[in-house]
Amino acid sequence: MKLKYYLTRIHDFSAAHRLDSPALDAESNREIYDKCNNDNGHGHDYKLEVTISGQPDEKSGLIWPRAEFDRAINAVLQELDYRHLNREIEYFKKHISTGEEIICYLWQRLAQALPEGMLYHLKLWETNNNYFEFGRDL
Amino acid sequence: MDKNKQVTITRKFEFSASHRYWRDEWSAEKNEQVFGRCISTYGHGHNYELHVSVGGQVNPETGMIINLTDLKKEVNVVLEDFDHKFLNLDTPWFRELVPTTENVAAVLFRLIDERLNTYPLLRLERIRLYEKHDLYAEIRRAED
Repeated sequence: MKLKYYLTRIHDFSAAHRLDSPALDAESNREIYDKCNNDNGHGHDYKLEVTISGQPDEKSGLIWPRAEFDRAINAVLQELDYRHLNREIEYFKKHISTGEEIICYLWQRLAQALPEGMLYHLKLWETNNNYFEFGRDL
Repeated sequence: MDKNKQVTITRKFEFSASHRYWRDEWSAEKNEQVFGRCISTYGHGHNYELHVSVGGQVNPETGMIINLTDLKKEVNVVLEDFDHKFLNLDTPWFRELVPTTENVAAVLFRLIDERLNTYPLLRLERIRLYEKHDLYAEIRRAED
């Protein structure tokens, strides 16, 4: 019986953001984004589940060495940790910092940081009560 | 039987075990480079959390795909050999195979699958093995 292997590592980062679309007027922004449109922003402890897939190396028994996996994730998340996404991260000056956009950004960055084809799935928790998913499983 | 009543159920289990990542044929430097802190001489341990997901048709008489008591019994037979053991030395499976999260999960998948073979309408769909709250492996069948 052949098996498929997946490994998931969970990291977190804390960041501020504000939801405000340049395509909408101030009133519509307030109406659509409600509390998330607060002028001075607000923040979350984001939690990210990063899943890779592949056959484990025959010798090491690992899909990818843990330390290298952690380094790749940290390199991407450290840029966001303790930042205001809209004001300090170039990507979110052009993209609205919704969970949907953040997870797409993280997918692009992590796919580059990991060996080709290894990244399988992302789950981004914005609060304990909502999460976003993106990847080859959906 | 309503063929559309294909359901998956999951039950959680826990066991505690120690392990060590090491390959004899590698130098100490290479072992440390690949495995990091997991090479410590006498092993270290975890409280593993195992999620076992099985799928099957709902039996119209019982309304179940398997009695959870039976599932619990079958999985616990397997886990007896893992709980409060040093996986490298106290079990036969990790003499050649390093007991990484991936490998422990794969061995558990095969052993549990074997136990469930006596339930013809049931299929082990996947297992998820948490080694810590922030690290888990998942195993599924390749033909899916």
